[in-house]
Amino acid sequence: MRRLGARRERGWAAAILGALALLAFLPLAVQRDDVLNFVFVTLLSITLAQSWNVVAGYAGQVNLGHAAFFGLGALTARTLWIGGTPLAPALAAGALVATAFALLIGVAAFRLRGAYFAIGTLALGEILRTTVSNVLPEISTLPTAAIATYRLSQRYYLALALAALSVVAVALLSASRLGLGMQALREDEEAAEAAGVGALRLKLTALALSTALAGLAGGLFAYYHISYYPSHAFSPSWTFDALLMTFIGGVGTLHGPVLGAVLYVFLKEYLALRWVDFHLLIFGALFVVIVLLLPGGLVQAAARARRLLAR
Amino acid sequence: MLEVRGLEVAYGDARAVADVTLTVGPGEIVALLGPNGAGKSTLLKAIAGLLRPRAGTIRWEGEDLTRLGAHRIVERGIALVAEGRRLFGGMTLEENLELGAFAPRARSGLRRSLERVYALFPVLAERRRALVRTLSGGQQQMVAVGRALMSNPRLLMLDEPSLGIAPLLVRAILDALVEINRDGAAVFLVEQNVQAALGLARRAYILEGGRIAGEGPGADLLQDAHVRRAYLGPLALGAGP
Amino acid sequence: MSVLAQQLLLGLLIGGLYGLAAAGLSLVFGVLKVLNVAHGELIMLGGYGTFWLVTLLGLDPFASLALVLPLALAGGLALYWALFGFVVRADEETRVKNSLLIGFGLALALHALAVRLWTADERAVVTPYGGAVLGVGGLSIPLVRLLSLALAFALIAALHLLLRHWRWGKAIRATAEDWQAALLAGIDVRRAYLLAFAIGTGLAGAAGTLVSIGYSISPSIGLEWTLKALIVVVLAGLGSMLGTFVSGLFLGVAEAVSAAAFGGPYREVAGLVIFVLVLVLRPRGLFGR
Repeated sequence: MRRLGARRERGWAAAILGALALLAFLPLAVQRDDVLNFVFVTLLSITLAQSWNVVAGYAGQVNLGHAAFFGLGALTARTLWIGGTPLAPALAAGALVATAFALLIGVAAFRLRGAYFAIGTLALGEILRTTVSNVLPEISTLPTAAIATYRLSQRYYLALALAALSVVAVALLSASRLGLGMQALREDEEAAEAAGVGALRLKLTALALSTALAGLAGGLFAYYHISYYPSHAFSPSWTFDALLMTFIGGVGTLHGPVLGAVLYVFLKEYLALRWVDFHLLIFGALFVVIVLLLPGGLVQAAARARRLLAR
Repeated sequence: MLEVRGLEVAYGDARAVADVTLTVGPGEIVALLGPNGAGKSTLLKAIAGLLRPRAGTIRWEGEDLTRLGAHRIVERGIALVAEGRRLFGGMTLEENLELGAFAPRARSGLRRSLERVYALFPVLAERRRALVRTLSGGQQQMVAVGRALMSNPRLLMLDEPSLGIAPLLVRAILDALVEINRDGAAVFLVEQNVQAALGLARRAYILEGGRIAGEGPGADLLQDAHVRRAYLGPLALGAGP
Repeated sequence: MSVLAQQLLLGLLIGGLYGLAAAGLSLVFGVLKVLNVAHGELIMLGGYGTFWLVTLLGLDPFASLALVLPLALAGGLALYWALFGFVVRADEETRVKNSLLIGFGLALALHALAVRLWTADERAVVTPYGGAVLGVGGLSIPLVRLLSLALAFALIAALHLLLRHWRWGKAIRATAEDWQAALLAGIDVRRAYLLAFAIGTGLAGAAGTLVSIGYSISPSIGLEWTLKALIVVVLAGLGSMLGTFVSGLFLGVAEAVSAAAFGGPYREVAGLVIFVLVLVLRPRGLFGR
C-alpha cells in the first residue's frame, strides 16, 4: 500500500513539474498581463498551500498562524529590497526571519495539542497582524525608479521557481525518513514517541521547512506588489486560503494542495467575474457545501470514484 | 432476556468480535471470561450501543436493539459499567449518580434509587458533595456501579469492576452485585478475577480471539482443566478466601 | 496616575465583553469539540440585530436583548441542524478540521452578506443616555459601558447557574467531560450538543448587542472578536464560565496596561505576552482542569 502510494506520488511529482515547465513558455506565447497575473496568483497559491501542507499534512499540526510567517517574509524582504539589498539575499533573509520566529514560537506552541494548537497559532498570527497594522499604518509603495523598471515576467518566473521548489521540497520530504517519522507522528503521537521518534524535534523541523517556504512566498508577494499595506501580508486570509486549498485538494499528499490551489483560484476568479457583488457569499456557501459533501477533499473523492469504476 | 446472535464487530479492518451468540436470561448472573484482547470489552460496548456491529443482531425482551442509540438502550433497561469507570471527575458524587437516572423511565424514581445506592454503599453517602476525582479508586468504582443502578436496569453489565481496587473493596462490590441480582436484575460480568466471577455466576462464556470458545455452568468451568490452566494462575491471587 | 486608572477602568469595561464573547465559544468548544471560527460573525449579526431593532422599532438597545437573545438561540438551532450537526458525527480530530473549514466558509459568507445588506460602514447605536458619565473619585465611568459590563456578568452568572442546576445543564457538563460516558448514563448526547451550540450562539448574539451599544459594529469586526474570544478561552481553560469571565476582564486590563506602558499601537502585545506565558506555564489555562 505504502509502496504503491510512493510510486503514485513520484508520478504526480513528475506530472506537476512537467506542467510547471510548460508554464515557463507561457510568457512567450501570451502577452496578456491578465493571464500572467492569474497564473501568478495560482503559482503563489500553490507555494503557500504546499508550505502549509508540510506542517498540517505531514506533521499533523493545524497551524492557523501561517499568515504571520508569510507576512514576516514579506516585511523583511520588502524592507531590505527597497533599501537596496539585491533580491535574492532579501528573499533569503525574509525566509530566515520567518523561520527564526517560527522556531522561537514553536517551542511554546507545540506544548499545545490538537485544537489548542490551532487556537494558539491563530491568536499569535492575529496579534502580530494588529501590531504591524498599528505600528506601520502607512502604505508601502515602491520607489519610482523601481516602478519604472517593473516587469511582470520577472515576477512570474520567480513564482514559477518557488512553486517548483515547494513541490520538490514536499516530494523529497515525503520520501525521506524524516517525512515518514512525521507521518508516524501524525497517525499516533504517543506511539511514535514510544518508538523513539523525537516528536518535538520533528514538529520543529516541519515548522521550519513550512515557514521558510511561507517566508519565501511572502517575499514573492512583496516583490510582486507595487503598493500595499504592510499588515495586509499578515492578514489571516492567507492562512485560510492555504488551509482551504489544502483541505479541498487533500491534506498530506503531494498533489492535493496543487489541485486544491488551482481549483480554488479558478473558482474564486470565476465567481468574482460572474457575480461581482455576491461572489464571496457564494464562495463561502459553496465551500461549506463542498466540505459537507466531500469531507476528505478531492483526493479522497477521486479515490472513491476510482474504486467505484474498478468494480 | 438478552439474545445476541451472530454478532460481528470490527475496528476498520480489524475484526474484534466474530460470530458471537449468547444469551443472558432474566435474573441470571452470567460471567464472560477470556484473555486480554479477546474482545470482551468490545462485545459489551456493542450491546450497550457504543459500537455499531457489522453483522448479527442484539435482541432484548423481543425487541431488536442492533441499530438503537446508546442512550435509548439505557432507557430500555440495560446499563453498562464501562472499563476504567468513565465517571465525570469534575462533578460531585451525587451529580454523577443523578445523571445515571437521566433516562425518562428512571427519573421518577430518582430519590428512591439514590437511597438504594447509598444503602448499598454507605461510604458514598458521606461524600455526596465531593468531586468524584478526589475519591479513591474503590469509591469511584462504587460510584460507577451506583450510577448504572440509578437507571434502574434489568440487565447490569460490568467490565472488570475489580480492576486496580483493594481486595476489601472488591468484596464489597461483588457482594453488592449479589444483592442487585437478588432484587431482580440480571448481571453480565466481565472479570479477570475468574475465581470470584465463577463463584457468583451460574453460567459463563469463554471468549478467545473474538469467538465463543466455551460455555457452561460456573462450577463446571471452575473445575475445567483448560480454564484452570488458562485463567486461574496468577490472576487468582486477588480473590481471597 | 489618574490617566492610567482611567485607562485600566476602560480596559476592565471592555474585558467584560471579551469574557462574554469567550463564554459562548468556550461552551461550544468544550462540549462539541468543535471550533467555530465564525463565532465573531455571530456576534456581528447580534450587533446588527440590535441596531435594526433600535432604528426601526425605536426599542431601547438594552431592551432589544430580550429579542436578540431568543433570535440568536433560534439561529443557533438552525445552524446546528444545517451545518454543525454533521460535523459532530466525525471523530474528534476530523471534527476540529471540518469545523474550521465550515467556520471559515460561514464567516466568509456572513461577512459578505453583511456588507451587502448593511454596507461596510461602522455603526453604533445612539441612545439619549449614551453620553452619560458617572464621576467617581476623579474617574469618569461611561454609563452604558458600565451597564454592559453588569449585563455581561449577569448573563455569565445565569449560564453558570444553568449549567450547575438545570437537568440538561448537568447533561451538557457531563457530555463535555466524556461523551461516551454520558451516553452510557442515558443522556442523548446529540441533544446536549444542540443545546450547547444554541446557548453559545445566544451568548454571541447578546455579546453583539452589548458591543453595538458601548462600542461600534461593522461587518468586519467578526474576526477580531473571534480572536479575543479565543485568547480568553486559552487563558481561562475549559470548564469554568466564571473563570472565563474573569479571564476576559484580565485581558481587557492587560491590554490597557500595555497601551499605557508602550503606547496605543502596542496594546495587543500584552495579549501576546500573557498568551505565550500561559501556554508555557499553564497549558490548560488559568481556570482549566
